[in-house]
Amino acid sequence: MQENREKCMELANRVYDLDGEVYSCVGSSLGRTFTGNRESTVQNLCGLMLTRPGGHLLRSELALISNMARTIKDKEKRAQMMAEYDALLKEIEALPDSFGKVDIVDLSRVELNLTARKKLSEKDPLVICISRTQGSAGNDIGFELADDLHINYYDVEIFNQVLNRMEVEKGSVGDAETEHFEEFDKYRKSRFNLKKWLHEFNRYHGLSKQDAVFFNMSDLICDLARTEDCVIMGRCADSILTNNHIPHLSIFISAPFPLRVQRIMASKNMDLRHASRFLKQMDRQHQKYYDFYTYGRWGHPENYDLCINSANYGIRETIDLIERLIDTPGKTGNEGA
Amino acid sequence: MSIAEVAIVKQKIILPGILLGLLLFCPLCVQAADTARESAVPIWLCIPFAGLLLCIAVMPLIKGEWWETHQPHAVIFWILAMVIPFAVCYGAGRAVETVLECAVNDYLTFIILLFGLFCVSGNITMEGDFAGSPRVNVGLLVLGTLLSSCIGTTGASMLMVRPVLKMNSWRKRKAHLMVFFIFLVSNMGGILTPIGDPPLLMGFMRDVPFFWSLRLFPVLIFNMVLLLFIFYHVDKRMYRKDISEGRKPDISRPGTQFCIDGLHNLLFLAMIVGAVILSGVLPGLPVFQDSAGNVLGLQIFGGVTLSYPSLIEIVIILAAAFLSFRTTPKDVRTRNHFTWGAIQEVAVLFIGIFITMQPALMLLRQVGPDLGLNQPWQLFWATGALSSFLDNTPTYLVFLTTAGTLGFTSGIGTSLGTIPASFLSAISCGAVFMGANTYIGNAPNFMVKSISDENGVNMPSFFGYMLWSVGILVPVFLVDTLIFFL
Repeated sequence: MQENREKCMELANRVYDLDGEVYSCVGSSLGRTFTGNRESTVQNLCGLMLTRPGGHLLRSELALISNMARTIKDKEKRAQMMAEYDALLKEIEALPDSFGKVDIVDLSRVELNLTARKKLSEKDPLVICISRTQGSAGNDIGFELADDLHINYYDVEIFNQVLNRMEVEKGSVGDAETEHFEEFDKYRKSRFNLKKWLHEFNRYHGLSKQDAVFFNMSDLICDLARTEDCVIMGRCADSILTNNHIPHLSIFISAPFPLRVQRIMASKNMDLRHASRFLKQMDRQHQKYYDFYTYGRWGHPENYDLCINSANYGIRETIDLIERLIDTPGKTGNEGA
Repeated sequence: MSIAEVAIVKQKIILPGILLGLLLFCPLCVQAADTARESAVPIWLCIPFAGLLLCIAVMPLIKGEWWETHQPHAVIFWILAMVIPFAVCYGAGRAVETVLECAVNDYLTFIILLFGLFCVSGNITMEGDFAGSPRVNVGLLVLGTLLSSCIGTTGASMLMVRPVLKMNSWRKRKAHLMVFFIFLVSNMGGILTPIGDPPLLMGFMRDVPFFWSLRLFPVLIFNMVLLLFIFYHVDKRMYRKDISEGRKPDISRPGTQFCIDGLHNLLFLAMIVGAVILSGVLPGLPVFQDSAGNVLGLQIFGGVTLSYPSLIEIVIILAAAFLSFRTTPKDVRTRNHFTWGAIQEVAVLFIGIFITMQPALMLLRQVGPDLGLNQPWQLFWATGALSSFLDNTPTYLVFLTTAGTLGFTSGIGTSLGTIPASFLSAISCGAVFMGANTYIGNAPNFMVKSISDENGVNMPSFFGYMLWSVGILVPVFLVDTLIFFL
């Protein structure tokens, strides 16, 4: 199995290199066939080879390279590229069909699990992504977990850093409480102002501000997760890290609605009606944001490594549960941060 | 290819193949049967045309590499399969005359125009870091669609296709974008002026006022709104899928940089547009006519002549292409990934299509007036259905002539008779809009497909494209019928 995977990785790397060479020989600026970064593209190609959902899918992807290769003006180069393409095609066709049928395992995903982390490298930082419903004490759990493990905790700070990076005025983000309302505003259309619209259109390369913030935030989350141990709250971090093949643990924390309402009533000094409305609104917004950018389903168990009902354990027990999962007892574990 | 894949390909081919066959033959067969006694064109002479279409549709799926290298041979085969029986039926002289008439008067000007626009637009490149997102793409499609009526569907397609590809180079899922590009920029946008699409130029040459087609603006806007609404949601879905796979554009630089190299080529583009307008205006001038009112020209063979206005058009277009190449650095073409592949493929396939479709056009000319079409909606669908597979210019003329002979006394006065505005709208819209139904319905369709294929876009097959057009365009046309043509 491992041999097959290595072979597929080698082939995928060669496909990626061939695509790059073909593009460079053509001299075009219209974009190469595989425009994603090397790691993601190679992983995806490898996945296609391993699982082979249909040989034609892989074949049509590869055919795009040959389409471009045939337009190379230098005959010698063209022949060289086509020879490499043919050789690759033959080797891929020679791969056995039974890969990946041994277990119910998403091979590309399993490598990112912290339980499998030891098999990869001890240098991989410990990254815990926590998604949570409002009022489930997810923030408290995340914060205390980070404190226990002596690692960094990122929530509103991420947003602030992105805003700094994009030179947007900092005043738009306040404390942790208002952050949720800011997030809510992030989805809501503001009143149209042509001057502002043109300014943003130019500033964000034609993208909406929300998308530009998301893309910048993705870069930032990846940078953080590659360099330090940390707990990242929300921000679709689990999906972003999965796409960038960065090992992490993804957790979803929720609690029954009535208990969340009680907590919000107590912590925000709201009456029952306002607290219920606030929670429903926040859940809708979280769901909309997550679903849009990840094409997944917020809160659905298949997206996460672990889903916890915090009401069944309480804050402290939940933290212990997570620590047991990562086999890193509080205070004695990683001393980074 | 594994057995399973062969089975999938077969599944993909057989059913659509049968449907295409039915679509092509049934209406004509029925009519041909009705008019068999007076029809001089045997229906079986259309078989080579259908055979060539099926080859274009099926061969890339089952024998892709063979098809790429043997396209010219297949085209020659189908041309001979049409010409030899045609010569047996009508005599060698008429066969040669028919082929030359089509090659000189239809194909030559068609391919030279395409060639000129292809060359000039290939020398204009856009450097910028706009990121292709649903709203940017909607903007590009709107711009391209409106541009089509100013510089023609082919000109706008060639000019816009590379910027669209470039802005969306960060994305994986782009085929739908190019499909809607073909719908809107390569076809529908040409409805507003005679420069937009050749059928309207033919109408203009038959005394339809130049600005009359501007009255079709509400129809265009309605279609644009519907299609762009659908496009936006499809593109948003694809955009989300791309993002969810971790793809992102390079927006590291604050602010967008945008510049166009080879901008002076717009002058040559204007030259080509001018040449097209001249080709429509000059034949009406007495200086280009003999005493009998026939357009003067060079005699090629028998009654086949290359008219002087066409010759002038060809010379101007070739001069524009030449000057464009001489005045633009090679580097611009390299960055544009300019190759001859797309124009070569179109040139080869369309000579076959133009020649083999002659019997079908002759049949249409014979049975067209007897079809009993006397309602705008009937003309819209008849013109459109046939324009999807045949050349839309002769199809437009056949139904324009039919409408002109219906004896109306109020409407647009043309050299073919008085035609009510609703009839003219229906024929124009049918001919222009429904060219988008297939890759071969309009030349820019195939050009856009070929250029996209060369630049990493996984374009749908012939039948795959028809699924898009049947699923999206046909319902839109049904709504058009209800609102504008009933």
